[in-house]
Amino acid sequence: MEIDPLPNGNTATENAAARPASDAVASLAAAAKAAAPALKVSHLSDSLKLEHQFLRVPFEHYKKTIRANHRSVEKEVSAVISAVDSSSSSDFSRDDAVSHLSSLVSRLQGLKRKLEEGSRVENLQAQRCRARLDHLESADADNLSEWSNTRLKRILVDYMLRMSYYESAAKLAETSNIQDLVDIDVFHEARRVIEALQNKEVAPALAWCADNRSRLKKSKSKFEFQLRLQEFVELVRADNNMRAILYARKYLAPWGAIHMKELQRVLATLAFKSGTECATYKVLFEVKQWDNLVDLFKQEFYRLYGMTLEPLLNIYLQAGLSALKTPFCYEDDCPKDDPLSQESFRKLAASLPFSKQQHSKLVCYITKELMDTENPPMVLPNGYVYSTKALEEMARRNNGKITCPRTGVVCNYSDLAKAYIS
Amino acid sequence: MELKAVKDAADHVTKKQKLCSSKCQEAIEQIGQEIEQALLKLQSTDASTSYPDHKAILADLKTKLKDMANVSQLESSQKELNGPLSKYPKQLEKSFNPDISKAYRNVDFDIHTINEIIASHLYREGLFEVGDCFANEAGEEEATALKSPFIEMYHIHQAMKSRDLEPALKWASANCEKLKQSGSDLELKLHRLQYVEILQNQGRDEALKYARTFLSPFASSHMAEIQKLMACLLWAGKLDASPYSDLLAPINWEKLGDEFTRQFCNLLGQSFESPLGVSVAAGVEGLPTLLKLMNVMMGKKQEWQSMKQLPVPIELDKEFQFHTIFVCPVSRDQATEENPPMLMSCGHVLCKQSITKLSKSSTKTFKCPYCPTEIEATHCRRLFF
Repeated sequence: MEIDPLPNGNTATENAAARPASDAVASLAAAAKAAAPALKVSHLSDSLKLEHQFLRVPFEHYKKTIRANHRSVEKEVSAVISAVDSSSSSDFSRDDAVSHLSSLVSRLQGLKRKLEEGSRVENLQAQRCRARLDHLESADADNLSEWSNTRLKRILVDYMLRMSYYESAAKLAETSNIQDLVDIDVFHEARRVIEALQNKEVAPALAWCADNRSRLKKSKSKFEFQLRLQEFVELVRADNNMRAILYARKYLAPWGAIHMKELQRVLATLAFKSGTECATYKVLFEVKQWDNLVDLFKQEFYRLYGMTLEPLLNIYLQAGLSALKTPFCYEDDCPKDDPLSQESFRKLAASLPFSKQQHSKLVCYITKELMDTENPPMVLPNGYVYSTKALEEMARRNNGKITCPRTGVVCNYSDLAKAYIS
Repeated sequence: MELKAVKDAADHVTKKQKLCSSKCQEAIEQIGQEIEQALLKLQSTDASTSYPDHKAILADLKTKLKDMANVSQLESSQKELNGPLSKYPKQLEKSFNPDISKAYRNVDFDIHTINEIIASHLYREGLFEVGDCFANEAGEEEATALKSPFIEMYHIHQAMKSRDLEPALKWASANCEKLKQSGSDLELKLHRLQYVEILQNQGRDEALKYARTFLSPFASSHMAEIQKLMACLLWAGKLDASPYSDLLAPINWEKLGDEFTRQFCNLLGQSFESPLGVSVAAGVEGLPTLLKLMNVMMGKKQEWQSMKQLPVPIELDKEFQFHTIFVCPVSRDQATEENPPMLMSCGHVLCKQSITKLSKSSTKTFKCPYCPTEIEATHCRRLFF
């Protein structure tokens, strides 16, 4: 053991970048220590920085609406214009021309209505983006507990949506009046695709891919390819070999350039058939391939909307349980207030790391309050330590006499000694 | 937190979006008008006269539409919108932590366990309908077992909120033995509040009668308290002007409501605060530090997945400290049974091993690392926290 006579000597803050990671960790710890007094305030602003998904998802939704509306307008307008073009070059009679133009006019009116509806939705979604910003801004020291409570509910709704517990999510959002702060409508889109995949239908998933083609391509997504492979396997399973081959020519071949290996493997199912015992091909026929497709879809969906790949609840729980986990949590006298006194939480924390303790934290046995400079620890003659507050209260009630609650030793308040804990 | 830049970016998007959709509307409007005009012209032409013939009108319309500035503007306004649309996410990534799952360990939480925790959280928050719905959707039927005790708690608490103490008193007297065991004087506190209510609303005689029946059993343990309550009789009707006016403060109701919940949860073997709420709140506080750590540990993902202890301390607020931990300020070791904390004569505390080293195994005195006192190792005392 290396003894450092000046444990608070702190020379490790400059040129941190030049040193290896372990030193940088040490300077990070020093920074955390320096921040201790302003803990509450800095915690709040740090915790707001975690809310990326909260702002990103409604924005992506908004953007999507804008793009879709614009695309439909452009399509209609150019369709109208080319209809005019073709009519001027064709051999319409006057009456034909009149009826042709009137149909165009009513088509434009329809488009106008659609556009109005579209921009109404756009404005609503813009408002939602704004409402979320305002909600983040509204958090301050005064309403913190209420705000945190809402945050927990948001996190729970996120979890329920990702687990497809749609009804519970809607109910929780409604009873807590936080509909604008959760993304129930965004998940409607996912729900259709997921439920279809669970019924072994790929059409909605393929339509979703077509809707988001350019972005999926950008992120080099394999999802569409996997859907096609699955459809191919289903044709082979149904012994529809000719169709399977035609299908492969049309839909699988274009992926050959990037995914040749997988393509070859799946095509080999033509030879092996669904009853095969050959492990490499047997898995391709398993029902759980459909579950994999659902998982894959979820990943793509989360990525597209800027969501975390894991539910927020799991992320926060992991961080929280690691921060709370100490060896003492697993002892029999672990206080009930510690979540890790409960079996279910211990189970979740089992594979997480223990927290690191660099500073003493003394909790008074009597009051369960933290002993610090405002409420310093006092030592009884028998070496047992309690908080000044608890002992003063005891002395006041019992004419200056102190009784140690754990050993029964009685002494005077004047016999107590102060202990300095750094 | 500084949200101005984000807000500006959002406003910019909205502004351009509105501009763009009004441009679209204009363009459509104008195309419509042109076509309608052409239509009018067509209809007004007499079939007998050859001029202006309908083909010319259509051709005319075609060139008009082609030259129309609005149509080309459609595209350009959309292009203008592209800038802000791609800028906003970038701004978000700059102002916020773009990926909070960076510090996530790839361990699968047992879904069944989490669902059970969520169901009991919903019940203890009084969200019984949501809880039922959740238990049903998640297929956690046995989780509903937690519901009935919390329903009872919720009803009693609601009654207290509307100043009805009867259900609470009934519960307290039914559980008085258990309450006594855990050292709670909840029952007395409830009776005290009820007594004051009676004194205020029904007068001295009723209050005295109540005190005789319900307060006297507490005489042996809470004499001083009862004396004080009896003195209140002297101020019947004008208690607010008495030295005991604090008994009337509405905060007493709130406090007692909390204490009731605490005791009720305690007897259920539950904590006062929702454990899920506590864990998530600790996670919110701890995650920023973990994310900073991951930036430092970049490229060592593997190491992170298998670490047994976090490499940095996470400073949590007071309310998350449940255990006494003594860390020797010299060796940075955590105190254990073999290496206990020792009090030196100056009042500073070190672990035993550090004292042994500093004193060269108790062969000489040494200077306290924190003050000028010379320390005799043999005079150090073991502490029990």
